[in-house]
Amino acid sequence: MSTAVELRRVGKSFTSTRDRRTEHVFENFSLTVEPGELVALVGASGTGKSTLLHMVAGLERPDTGEVAGAGVDGARRRLGMVFQQPRLLDWLSVRANVEIALRSAGLDPALADAALRDVGLAEYADKYPSVLSGGQRQRVAVARAFAIDPAVVLLDEPFSALDELTGRRLRLLLQDLWTRQSRVGLLVTHSPAEAVLLADRVLVLAGRPARVVREYRVDLPRPRAPEDPELFDLQRRVVADLL
Amino acid sequence: MSLRTRAPAPETATPETGHAGPPLARGASFRWRGPAAAASFLVLLVGGWHGMALAMDSVLVPGVDQIGAEVLRLVSDPGFYTDLGVTFQRVALGFALAFAVAVFVGIAMGRSPLARRFFEPAVLIGLTVPGLVWALLCVIWFGVALINPVMAVALSSAPALTLSIYQGTRATDAQLLEMAHVYRFSTRDRLRYLWLPSLAPALFGGARLGLSLAWKVIVLVEIFGMSSGVGAAINGEFAAQNVAGVLAWTVLFAVVMAVLEYGLLQGLENRAGRWRKVAAV
Repeated sequence: MSTAVELRRVGKSFTSTRDRRTEHVFENFSLTVEPGELVALVGASGTGKSTLLHMVAGLERPDTGEVAGAGVDGARRRLGMVFQQPRLLDWLSVRANVEIALRSAGLDPALADAALRDVGLAEYADKYPSVLSGGQRQRVAVARAFAIDPAVVLLDEPFSALDELTGRRLRLLLQDLWTRQSRVGLLVTHSPAEAVLLADRVLVLAGRPARVVREYRVDLPRPRAPEDPELFDLQRRVVADLL
Repeated sequence: MSLRTRAPAPETATPETGHAGPPLARGASFRWRGPAAAASFLVLLVGGWHGMALAMDSVLVPGVDQIGAEVLRLVSDPGFYTDLGVTFQRVALGFALAFAVAVFVGIAMGRSPLARRFFEPAVLIGLTVPGLVWALLCVIWFGVALINPVMAVALSSAPALTLSIYQGTRATDAQLLEMAHVYRFSTRDRLRYLWLPSLAPALFGGARLGLSLAWKVIVLVEIFGMSSGVGAAINGEFAAQNVAGVLAWTVLFAVVMAVLEYGLLQGLENRAGRWRKVAAV
């Protein structure tokens, strides 16, 4: 079975502009995401989780090694990404924000309405994003990411800027979308609860250069309930690793 | 001197909000007091001028009645509209050329440090050369051909426009550029849906400054080297020692520019910023 995303012996370092010190964030780091799998990366701030996601997204190049996989590299790349902030074009309508992603992926822009319906925003299609709440704007970002039938969905702390209740609703929405159609995904989060609720595998990153210090497989069927005792137990173990 | 500016930090969204924006409509009293204040200034200017004309009693300072009569004579003459149209066409062509170059160079300077260093001297030189010099040089180099006023307008307005677009580019939200990269926006979509809307405030600010420079230079070029247009007409009145005629042309030219500013440019700006108003309601 071919892998969906593969980081092969990746190295990445940054040089501080202040004291010219070089920080090796990754060295010979390898990671494989199988088809249909959602992998969550958790770890303390500064461990390189977002850097890793940015390398998969093509926003940063690894110094050594390579990022490969169907839909990730080269001309075949088709990524859906949900950032911490919605990153919408405020001067376009909600529908036009999704349409432009569809058109860029070579798909029919008319699919935007169905994507907005899936996230419960059909009636807001003609509004400007700036009149929506933060949670609604993030729903538009989720609709945009899923509308393009992505080979890989990248989630970079997608709900961390939202209040607890709104974040919870969006996690359940995301789980619902994932249950309807299995996709490949990488989730970066600071929330162990979010990681165990959504992911098939949770990787705990630590150290510099970063390495996977613990790996948890979440074999519970979807949809999962946030109050599930098994999830809670798993969450407790992840928290213990992070502390 | 350096053109380097600090790009402002991108706005961050506040959870479950999104109604940030300018304060809502000012009081109704301000709506009337603003135009009334401007009208008061104009009344004072006209009254002051007329008082000065009466006090000096000189052909060099014509009264408001004489200037008004000249204005009426000009607007009833078809030649006035021909000259105005010719000048407007020259400015439009020169400004379009400046705009195209400035968008390309300004964005390149904002995106690439190498491009910034390469074009920086050109922009600085362009900003410091007086419009009068461009007008003279273009008359010398291009004679009476159409390229003369077009180049003079382009050379005088492009540097200010480029600087404005460069600064706007630096302030463009880098997070949106990342999003466009991930979703593989085409170059056309990036320009149309990301760069131009992001740069709209800079473009309109630069356009105002560039146009104001262009009007001044075109009149000089037409005085020095052309036989048609507003500048040539003003030169004709000057040669005839008709001070009221010179002032009448100046007044009418200013009125036309004001109509363009408030009618065209501000209309376009309101249209481009429609989404901001919706957000503020």
